[in-house]
Amino acid sequence: MRAPFRIIFEQRAETPKYLSALVPFLSVLSALIAGAIFLQATGYSASETYSNMLSDGFMSYRGITETLGLSTVLICTGIAAAFSFQMNLYNIGGEGQLYLGMIGGAWAGLALGPHLPSFVMIPLLLLIGALAGAVWIFVPAFVRSRLGTSEIVTTLLLTYVASSLVKHFINTPDSFFRAENSAFPQGRNVADSAALSPIGDTRLYPTFFVVVVLALFLYWVVKKTEFGYRIQVIADSPRAAHYAGVSANRTTMSVMLLSGALAGLGGATLIVGPFARLDQGITLLGYGYAGIVVAALARNNFAGIIVSGILFAGLRVGGEKLQISTDTPKHIGIMLQGAILLFALGGEAFRRYKVRAVRMKAVAQ
Amino acid sequence: MNSNIWILSLADSVAIATTLILAALGALFTERAGVLNLGIEGMLLTSAITSFLVADASGSIWFGLLLGIILGAVLAGIHAFLTVVLRANQIVSGLALVIFGTGLANFLGKPAEGKTVRTTIEAMSFGALTDIPILGPIVFGQDIITYAAILIAIVASWFLFRTRLGLEVRATGDDPATVDAQGLSVASIRIRYTLLGGALVGLGGSFHMLAQSAAWHLEATTNGIGWIALSLVVFAGWRPIRLIFGAILFGFTLQLPFTLQAEQITFIPSALMPMLPYLATLIALIALSRPGSRNILGAPKALGTPFVRDER
Amino acid sequence: MSNTSHEVASGPYHSGGAAPSALSAHSVSKRFPGVLANDSVDFDIQPGEVHTLLGENGAGKSTLAAMLCGLYQPDNGYIARNGQRVVLGSPRAGLQHGIAMVHQHFRLVDRFTVAENVILGSRNLSFVLDRRSINERVSEVAESYGLPIDPNATVGDLSVGQRQRVEIVKALYQGAEILLLDEPTAVLVPSEVEKLFENVHAMTAAGKSIVFISHKLGEVVEISDRVTVLRGGKVTGHVSGRGATDTKELARLMVGRDINLGVQRASHPIGHEVLQIRDLSLDVNGVSVLSNINFNVHEGEMVGIAGVAGNGQKELADTIAGLITPTSGSVSIGGALATDRGPIHARELGLAYVPEDRLGMGLVPSMSILDNLLLTRDRHVVVDRSSVRPEATRLIDQFEIKANGPDHLARKLSGGNAQKVLLARELSGGRTATKLLVVCSPTRGLDVGAIETVRRLLDDARSAGQAILLISEDLDEIMSLSDRVLVLYRGAIAHETPGESANIATVGAAMAGLTTGDNA
Repeated sequence: MRAPFRIIFEQRAETPKYLSALVPFLSVLSALIAGAIFLQATGYSASETYSNMLSDGFMSYRGITETLGLSTVLICTGIAAAFSFQMNLYNIGGEGQLYLGMIGGAWAGLALGPHLPSFVMIPLLLLIGALAGAVWIFVPAFVRSRLGTSEIVTTLLLTYVASSLVKHFINTPDSFFRAENSAFPQGRNVADSAALSPIGDTRLYPTFFVVVVLALFLYWVVKKTEFGYRIQVIADSPRAAHYAGVSANRTTMSVMLLSGALAGLGGATLIVGPFARLDQGITLLGYGYAGIVVAALARNNFAGIIVSGILFAGLRVGGEKLQISTDTPKHIGIMLQGAILLFALGGEAFRRYKVRAVRMKAVAQ
Repeated sequence: MNSNIWILSLADSVAIATTLILAALGALFTERAGVLNLGIEGMLLTSAITSFLVADASGSIWFGLLLGIILGAVLAGIHAFLTVVLRANQIVSGLALVIFGTGLANFLGKPAEGKTVRTTIEAMSFGALTDIPILGPIVFGQDIITYAAILIAIVASWFLFRTRLGLEVRATGDDPATVDAQGLSVASIRIRYTLLGGALVGLGGSFHMLAQSAAWHLEATTNGIGWIALSLVVFAGWRPIRLIFGAILFGFTLQLPFTLQAEQITFIPSALMPMLPYLATLIALIALSRPGSRNILGAPKALGTPFVRDER
Repeated sequence: MSNTSHEVASGPYHSGGAAPSALSAHSVSKRFPGVLANDSVDFDIQPGEVHTLLGENGAGKSTLAAMLCGLYQPDNGYIARNGQRVVLGSPRAGLQHGIAMVHQHFRLVDRFTVAENVILGSRNLSFVLDRRSINERVSEVAESYGLPIDPNATVGDLSVGQRQRVEIVKALYQGAEILLLDEPTAVLVPSEVEKLFENVHAMTAAGKSIVFISHKLGEVVEISDRVTVLRGGKVTGHVSGRGATDTKELARLMVGRDINLGVQRASHPIGHEVLQIRDLSLDVNGVSVLSNINFNVHEGEMVGIAGVAGNGQKELADTIAGLITPTSGSVSIGGALATDRGPIHARELGLAYVPEDRLGMGLVPSMSILDNLLLTRDRHVVVDRSSVRPEATRLIDQFEIKANGPDHLARKLSGGNAQKVLLARELSGGRTATKLLVVCSPTRGLDVGAIETVRRLLDDARSAGQAILLISEDLDEIMSLSDRVLVLYRGAIAHETPGESANIATVGAAMAGLTTGDNA
C-alpha cells in the first residue's frame, strides 16, 4: 500500500541568499516555540521564563555586559570548533582543551606572575594557555593524521582525563594551584599582574575585543590566504589535494593544533578575566561543548560565530538567573541550546533541498 | 574465598559491563545500518532519569525500564529523522542530542534531587551456585538484566550473520546504493535500526540507574560511559560476541580505581585512577588503527554518510 | 533522413507480428530539468531477441532503458508487458514483471560472497539463511546459462568480467525474462566480450530477451537482431538484420552527419626526448601493479597507451605525475629525474596532468574556475586572485568554455566543459611552461561535439611541439590520434607499434594478454 503522494528532495543548484540568512533565524524561533510548549506542559510558565531570560540576558546593563563577557569564551571555543569542523575534522574535545588552557594559564599566573609586569604577563599567559590547549590535542591530531584514528573519540576521551586533572589539582592537599588557608578546596588567585580589571564594574573584560578581532582575522585567513586555500581544497576534495601536492597530513596537524590552541586560549581568557584562578567549577559549565553549538549554528563561518556566540551567551546568562527569579530549572537554557541546534540541523535540509510533494498518478496516455 | 576483593571486583566488572554491553549493542546496530549516533551519552542520562522517576512513582522497576527504553528510542528517533530523512550531518546531530539529552535529564531530575529510588534491581538468587569458588559470584551473582544483556548480544550475533534481515542490515551499512538497487528501502532500514539501537541504549541507561546508581545527583552525568561504549564498538570490530568480552574488560578498568582504593593500593597515584578507563580506551583505539586510511578493520563502509539516490 | 534499402522507419512503430511484444514502449517521453531526454519514443522486443539501443552519450538510451525497467516513470506514453499496459513504479516492480537491468556500474557489495549478493533483497527466502542450499541454487542458475561462478567467492576479489557475470546471474536468479545490459562491453577485454556474447546467445536460446545498450558500432552489428538508433531523445532509425548493416549508416543515424572522429595526422618532425621511463615497477600490497615499464616520449609526439581499464593505467599516470612512488625504476622529465619527488617537482620540470577523475581529482568542485586555475600554480601567502583573472577570462574564451566567467563554480560545469577547463589549465602551463602532457580518458562520457573539440585540441598541441602521453580505453581514439601505440596489460607493456601501421587485431589480442610480450 503506497501513500498517495511522495515527498521528493531536489538538490538546489544554488541557495538564494535570503534563505541562508532566514533559516538560522527560523530555527531559533522554532526551538523557542517548542521550548515554550515544553515548559507549559511541564508546569512552568513559558512567558515568565522567556521574559526573564530576555531581560536578564540582553535588556539590562548588567545583563548585556555579562552576556558580552561570557561570549568572550564562547566565541573562542566556537572558532576553535569551527576551525577544525570546516575541514571535517571533528575536534569535540574543546572542553578538555579549555581546561588545559586554564591550567596552563593559572600556572603561568602563579609561577611567573609575581616576576613580570602586566603588559608582558597578560599576553604571555594567553599564549601559554593556547599552547597548553594545543599540547592537549597533539596526540589525537597526530594519530588522526598518521593512523586515521577517529578524532571524535580521542578528543572526547581526553576531555574526561582533563576533567580529572583539574579536580586533582584543586583537591590534592599540597597542590601548587590550591589556595592555602581555606576550609574547602579551591584555587589560588594568580598574581595581580596576571589578572585584568574588568570594564567598569561589570564582568566584561578587554579580552572580548581581542577575541572578536581574532575571529575576524581568521575569517580573512580562510578566505584570502594560502593556508585557507589549502584548507578549502582538502576539505572539499582530498584527492585533488593529493593531485596538487597539497599535503593533507601537515594541514590536518596544523588545523587541529590551532583548534586546540584556540580552545586553550578560551580557558586562558577565563584566568585573565572573570576567574583569576583555577576553579573546578569549570567542569560543570560546558563552555567547550557550547562552542560546538555556536559554531554549528553559524555554519562554521567565523564572522557569524561572533553573532551566535553572543546569542548563546545571552541564553545562558538569562538561563542562569532563572532559578533565582522563577522556579524554572536553569537546565532549560542547556536544553534550548541543544534544541536550537537540532532545529538548525533540520532547517539545513530546506536550505539545501527544495522539498516538494508529488502526487503519484497512473501514467496518462 | 569468594569474599576476596578481586573476585568481587570481577563480579562488579560484569555488572558494570552490562550498561556498556547494552549501550554498545545499540550503537552497533545503528552503525551496522550505516548511521553514526553520537548522542548515546545524552540518551543514557535521559533514560536513566526517566526510569528513575517512573520506578519511583509506580514502585515497579519493569515499568521504569520500559519507559526508559521508550525514551531511548524516542531520542534516537529524533536523530533518525534528522539524519536519514533530512540528511543532516550525523556527527553534529549526535552532539546536539548529547547536549539536549543532558539538559533534559537534569531538567526532569530537579524534583528528584538527592533522592534514592524506591525500588532497585537486585541480583538474582541461584542459591548454592553462588558459592562455587571464583566463578560463583562472577557468573551466578548477577541480576536478570545482565543475563539478558549477554543473551541479547548472542542473539544479535546470530541475527546479523545468519539471517536474511541481518544480511540486509550489513549490506545497508556497507553499500546502500546496492541495497537501494535491489528495491529495498535504505531509509526505512536505517530508521528501524536506529530506533532499535536507541531502545537498547535506553535499556542500558535505565539499568545503570536502577541497579548501579539508585540515587539521582544534581548535575548528574554518566561520566563518559556513552563514549566508552562507542569506542567499544570499534574495539570489538562491530561484532557482538567480541563486544561482550571487551565490555567486561572496560568494566574492569572502570571499577578498578575503587578496588585499588579499598585495598589501599597506592602505587598508582589517586589522580591517575579516574583517568584509567579513558586512557585505556584511548590506547586501545590507537592500537587498532591502520595507518593511511580511515578504514578501521570491520567498519561498515558507508558509516556516517547520508544516502542519496543518484538521480539526474 | 532518407530511406535506404534497409527497413528504416521513424515515428510510431509496431513489430507487425501477431504475438504481443515481450516488452514495449509506446510514445514515451521523459523530461528532466532543462532537457527532454526522450521524445515520443517507441520500442519493442520479442522473446529470444537481442535488440540494441544505439546512440552517443546523452542521446537518451539510458533514460529509455531506465523507464523500461522501472527506475524512471515516463511523463507521457506507456510501457506494456506482453501487450498489457503496466506501470513500473520502481525497479522492484520491474522485477516483478520479469524485467531487470544490469548497470554499467555494478551494484555489488564487495564484502559479501557471490551468493549473498545474488540473493540480497530476495523476498522468497527463509528467515534463517540456509547457506548450502542457497549456494546450490545459485550455482544451478548460473550453470544453466553457461556462466560458471563460485558462490562462495568474495565479490571484492573478482575480476570485472566475473563481477558482470554475477550481476547477470543475479538478474536471472530473480526471475528476469528480459535483461537490459547497459554498456556491458565497456569494461571487457575482447576475449571477455566474446564470452559475453556466447552467454547472450545462451540466454536468448532459452527465450530470454536482451536489450543491449551501447555506442560501440562494431559489437552492436555483431550481436544484434535489431537496432534502434536514438539521437537527441528521438528515434532516428530502426534497422533489422544482423550483420547486414553498414556501420557508416548507423553512425550517420547516430550523429546526423558524416563525422570524422579521426584526425588528419600531418607528419612533422619529432624533437628531443621529453619523458623517459626506465624499468618502472610498482608493487602494492605484494601485488605487482606495474612491471618493468620502458618507453619514452619526444617533443611533438603523441604516444598512446591502450588497454582495458584496470591494467595499471591509472597507477602509471599517477606515478609519472609524481603522486605515487614506484618500487623501482625511474621517471625523467626533460632529462631531469622526477621519481619520488612529488607532484610539485614534476610540474616544475614541465609536466602537466589531466587525470581521468575530472571533478574529484583534477578540479576542486566547490571552487571557482579561477581558484581551480590556481591549484597547480605558485600561490603566495596572501592569494593573489586579481592577477590571474584576466588570464582566466582569456582562457574561457579561447577554449570555448560555457561558463559565467571565472567565478563559475567547477561543480556546475558539464562534463565537457570541466574537461576543457582542465585542458586549458594544463596546456597553459603552471609554474613553468608545459613540456609533457599526460592525459587520461580525455573524451569519456562526452558528447560528440566535445569529443571532436578535445581531440582537435590535443592534436593541435602535438603539432605545436608538445609531447603528449595519451592513456585511453577507447582503442579507436588511440589508433586515430597516436604516433605510436603501446599496449598495457597487467602492468606491463605487451606490445608496441607505430600508429599508422597498427593492426587492430594484434593490438586487441595484446590487450587481452594473448601475445607473449612482443616488445618492439
